[in-house]
Amino acid sequence: MYFGLSCCFVEEITAWTPRYDIARFGAEVLRLSPRQADLLIVSGTVFKKVAPVVLRLYEQMAEPKWVISMGSCANTGGMYDVYSVVQGVNQILPVDVYIPGCPPRPEAVLHGLTRLQEKIQSQERPSGKVFHMAGGSQGTVSPVLVDGETKTRDTRGPGMNGIPVRGSSVTPPDFHENRAQLMWTPPAAQITLSPVENEVKSQLVRRFGDAVAPAEKSADMLTIDVDQSRAAEVLRFLKYESGPRFLRLEDYTAVDQSARQNPEDYPDFTLVYHLLAFDPAVRVRLRAALYGRYPETQSIHELWENAGWYEREIYDMFGIRFSGHPDLRRLLMPEGWQGHPLRKSYTGRATEMPAYTAEDAHRLQPRAGEQFYQVDEDGESYVLNIGPHHTGTHGIIRYIAKMDGETITGLDMDIGYHHRGAEKIGERQHWIQYIPYTDRVDYLVGAANEFPYVLALEKIAGIRVPERAEYIRVLFAELSRIANHMAYMGITANDVGALTPNFYAFRDREMIMDIVEMISGGRLHPAFFRPGGVAADLPEGWKEPVEAFLRVFPKRLGEYEKITLKNPVFRARTVDVGLMEKHDAVDLGVSGPNLRSTGVNWDLRKNMPYSVYGSLDFDVPTDTVSDCWTRFRLRAEECRESVRIIRQVIDQMPGGRYISEDYRYVVPQRQDMLKDIESLIHHFINVSRGPKIPRGEAYAATENPRGEQGYYVVSDGLGFAYRVRIRASSFTNVQAFAKICKGATIADFIAIIGAHDYTPADIDR
Amino acid sequence: MVPVNYTYALSSWTPAVVSFLAFIFAVFLMMAVLMFLTGFLGEKRVNENKLRPYESGIIPTGSAPIRYPVPFFLVAVFFLIFDVEGAFIFSWALAVKALGAKAMVQITFFIFVLLMGLVYIWCKGGLALKDGKDKRADRR
Repeated sequence: MYFGLSCCFVEEITAWTPRYDIARFGAEVLRLSPRQADLLIVSGTVFKKVAPVVLRLYEQMAEPKWVISMGSCANTGGMYDVYSVVQGVNQILPVDVYIPGCPPRPEAVLHGLTRLQEKIQSQERPSGKVFHMAGGSQGTVSPVLVDGETKTRDTRGPGMNGIPVRGSSVTPPDFHENRAQLMWTPPAAQITLSPVENEVKSQLVRRFGDAVAPAEKSADMLTIDVDQSRAAEVLRFLKYESGPRFLRLEDYTAVDQSARQNPEDYPDFTLVYHLLAFDPAVRVRLRAALYGRYPETQSIHELWENAGWYEREIYDMFGIRFSGHPDLRRLLMPEGWQGHPLRKSYTGRATEMPAYTAEDAHRLQPRAGEQFYQVDEDGESYVLNIGPHHTGTHGIIRYIAKMDGETITGLDMDIGYHHRGAEKIGERQHWIQYIPYTDRVDYLVGAANEFPYVLALEKIAGIRVPERAEYIRVLFAELSRIANHMAYMGITANDVGALTPNFYAFRDREMIMDIVEMISGGRLHPAFFRPGGVAADLPEGWKEPVEAFLRVFPKRLGEYEKITLKNPVFRARTVDVGLMEKHDAVDLGVSGPNLRSTGVNWDLRKNMPYSVYGSLDFDVPTDTVSDCWTRFRLRAEECRESVRIIRQVIDQMPGGRYISEDYRYVVPQRQDMLKDIESLIHHFINVSRGPKIPRGEAYAATENPRGEQGYYVVSDGLGFAYRVRIRASSFTNVQAFAKICKGATIADFIAIIGAHDYTPADIDR
Repeated sequence: MVPVNYTYALSSWTPAVVSFLAFIFAVFLMMAVLMFLTGFLGEKRVNENKLRPYESGIIPTGSAPIRYPVPFFLVAVFFLIFDVEGAFIFSWALAVKALGAKAMVQITFFIFVLLMGLVYIWCKGGLALKDGKDKRADRR
């Protein structure tokens, strides 16, 4: 049985596809219920919220049973030493084989499996247990470890007691010997407002007078400080009355200002709203100051539907209350969690918290289904939990469906099972160290995730990126788009009963993985982008495999379309299923192909061009009837456009530098570092303690395969971010389910969530 | 018609009965052995979670014996149409030789009418799982 928790699971499932073909080792049958399984592969991060589920599944398995822990996170917590993650699954259940890696390659899964077979063959004597005689052994015999007693709590390994964790003292609130404070940088970059932004600004000032105060400087967009008590009014004006109407609440979050270097200049908390107008394409940022330890402000859930979740998240993470919110409870953290993790006073590291044990996993159960929907004792309706462990949910997210026979009459979602505290980690890893974490926010799209983060940094610091680097970035972004859509087409087709496309699609995905690996060294998580460029130049001979891929792929794509979009069974399952209205999609902040399927011609690459997309020639496929079939079709079309883009990138790839010359902020080119002392010093500082990024803030969003991925980065002029906010595309996209699944059957529901394309890591971050 | 001779039917000396009883005995013996082996062999550990139904890893909500809605009226009507008609067809089949070719034509017509009914229900969406709305516009 598999329990795919996060990134590792993608590699695990790749081991079942043709190139790796786990069937060679007699293990091709994946069981989906614990009753039929004898091996549990825990692949990925074990979260405190999902640990009770992991333990239950293990206990529900019949004897004999074995456990493989796959990936650094399941082994030890890995790079996620953060409040929401169990530091190794061996704290709650016994483990036979550990597969190291982040994530381990599919070959490693095969190796782990054969190691387990060897272990069973050489060490186990099952006859004693089978015949109820003394002696003998079968199944796992290793003990459950106790964090801090039988296993070390130190993330650096044993033997480091008494040596403080390096770098931890320079973080807030101490700033002890923080050398970034001694460094000088120019002030943050500044833009001049466009005519549209000036128009919005003057409209607001005319209408609200003193209640709004436009910020003098901004690195990215029109920024308005607004009186907290009138924020709702201003937002209503911007949505319904202003010059361009700001129809989408792009992002909504808060910043705890208590750990600033100069706290007297800031309020206790700041609420930050990002709004987007489609025509003309323009964004605006509103900031509202809040005072007090547990401030309360007015809810805006009536203005935008997706504000409901945003406010629950802010309440969960900061403890800010919203009056008038109908259901203000925790969104990401489990019920009964103590404290608000994104407050600066909150400990971010799991190793500084009490160890998570099997007793905790027994005691702290997820919210019962009865609490979502009243169970009708003698009526005909019932409540069904779908997920967190379910094949159709593509990861750990839980749906609670109120059912009438086969029909869904109400749908609620319980998210946060995959909350990895990525935003909290951003406040302690330095600017460049954080890049690998961005990869893992949406583990299916790899380098495309790094794009908005580095763009935001470049906006604050005003770094100019050389053209060659821009083209390399676009190459990566488009390759990961195809890789993602291939996985999507395979898995979604699989969900509605077509197994074949899965095997074909992963074959092409592997070709892309090879290209990505050849250039960057990583498969799923390349961590290749850097502020100011990319990590290394393209290697010699990079063109051939890309061209080889482009030669075979378009024809194959046509075949995949034939066996899915034209297949009568596939059509019966998807055509007119899960219809989504344009109005709802805009209001909920749905983005990406899902938004375009409703008839909104909106693609950031076209409408707000970033990088070199403005000079590339490609089309944006759209449709007007948004059902599962259309959403699927648009993704296939997008692959074709990506192929066009990659062709142009190959033809136009300019020469020159791959990273900016602005060595104050960027990691210098390797050759320079080896040859001159200035570059060496910059290299040393920027790699070891991180560049000092000037005080400021910026929001950057890119058109990722799944939708618009945005990073709102706040710098306090130190070597690490003051606040990293991730505007995740899946977070808003999945909120549409409550609407479009009503009246659908369970079978439709699986098609709908499959065709919608989300990853739980991207929802919960 | 040949009269049946019942004299030896239950005689213990008739081979058929002996082998029949032996067979029954073998079946019961086999069942007993298998049930004993499955019950005895193998390690068994029981815990609270193992006895609980599996519902995606969550503690199940509500009870399993619910009144599951079957669209009963439609089911009943279709039963009348397609199952009770079976009575006519069986009775015809028993006397098929006596009734001759004319009845053959008649029953073929009868079955044809039934099939038309089935097609009609299908097209109307009566066989769909819910609300008859399952018929999807083939717009592409």
